[in-house]
Amino acid sequence: MRKTAEIVVIGGGVIGTSIAYYLAKEGRDVVILEKGDLASESSGACDKAILMQSKKPGIHLELALKSAEIYKTLADELEYPIEYANDGGMIVIETEEELAVMKQFVKKQREIGLKVDLLDGKQARSIQPALAKHIIGATHSDQDAQVNPIYATLGFATSAKRLGVEIYQQTEVTGIKVESGAITAVETNRGQISTRNIVNCTGAYAPFLGRMVGINIPIRPRRGQIVISEPMPKLIKGDMLSAKYIAAKHNPDIVEKAKDKATQMGIGLSLGQSDSGNLLIGASREFVGYDKSTTYDALSAIIQNAIRIIPALRNINMIRNFAGLRPSTTDGLPILGGTELNGYYIAAGHEGDGIALAPITGQLMTELICHGKSSIDLSLFHISRFGDQKLKR
Amino acid sequence: MTETNKKEVIICRCEDVSEVEIKQAIEEGFTTINAIKKRLRTGMGLCQGRTCQKLVARIIAQETGKSMEEILLPTTRPPVRPIIMGAFEGEDQ
Repeated sequence: MRKTAEIVVIGGGVIGTSIAYYLAKEGRDVVILEKGDLASESSGACDKAILMQSKKPGIHLELALKSAEIYKTLADELEYPIEYANDGGMIVIETEEELAVMKQFVKKQREIGLKVDLLDGKQARSIQPALAKHIIGATHSDQDAQVNPIYATLGFATSAKRLGVEIYQQTEVTGIKVESGAITAVETNRGQISTRNIVNCTGAYAPFLGRMVGINIPIRPRRGQIVISEPMPKLIKGDMLSAKYIAAKHNPDIVEKAKDKATQMGIGLSLGQSDSGNLLIGASREFVGYDKSTTYDALSAIIQNAIRIIPALRNINMIRNFAGLRPSTTDGLPILGGTELNGYYIAAGHEGDGIALAPITGQLMTELICHGKSSIDLSLFHISRFGDQKLKR
Repeated sequence: MTETNKKEVIICRCEDVSEVEIKQAIEEGFTTINAIKKRLRTGMGLCQGRTCQKLVARIIAQETGKSMEEILLPTTRPPVRPIIMGAFEGEDQ
């Protein structure tokens, strides 16, 4: 293993590999440390949507729109087949209450510049013929897109490698050495690397890497379970979400106060079909610590919820399910930027938006690390918004 | 067996992945069953690795010198075999 590096990126998911790639493009000397394999945690256990419609109208959506632009040419730039497609996305509406919420949501989205249409049931079914008859409407945006999240991660990693980045997998960080207020080295199970700069891209695991230097990183793991179907001809175009999912995402209260099991597990439809033909049927949103196991209750609820919206699913086989830990913050925004410790950067806490935001996160963090400021102001994403960073002992 | 024939040795039948491709992936640094699965889709098909998993493990052992015990098997998850999703309908929610 290398003895020194200018910048050590910790975490080989889509965020870490993206940052490493853009840093290397700027000529920086970078290594990636990954405790498992590339994309072995949340980046490899999620859906495939690059959704604009699910983002919070505001700076969050602005970042997502920039990221979506980068995705359009990313496969060529990385010279890697990341299975990008720009097939649009739909949020299906089942009740009048949801319709009222979505009308407000659309208004705010349009103010930010998202092109989104409000459709009635018939128009929605003309785009997605598999939709159930009771669907009263949908929002639709051509700006929503799709990517294979694993290949996006491997694409960034492969290009980063080509630019000289060294990637150490099965390499776990065990400690971070700080001397007189500056980082001096990262310790791992395979030896030590001297460095002045660390980027913590470990998603739901970021708090552990914060603790090593006395920084409290307020990220909680939120489990998302997804069901995979057998491969089949095209059934679903682009991404599909239910308005219920949007509600669960932006109003955690709904989930916490709910009486029925499905709502408590944060069940809301997220549906897409991969290039290989498999349907990815999600998802749950559960606070259960670092437990990555899948549960029968969520599996059953996810499938029944999906059948209600796409009845044809009842005749299709499921072949697998999995769970990933979404790195969640209390305000739904990621933590991006430096910290009180010179040279210690954080890019984590994207929850379910890591894939969509990975390219722009990589670019802006690179600008910040290389030039001390970024072309889009990241101060709203700074960890200081959560108050004192010092870990209470 | 001739070289041309070797290219045709299919390890993962569901996803049509050959021995040569797996060896190449190992050379690129994908040295666990999960890593190879992410790179090549071995075990992502209908049988969910029930046919190819041990074969992939053996190739990893052979190429990296690791013992079979050191090669971590991926998490086993339901269902054991494909199940029609309609079977869940009417379950308590």
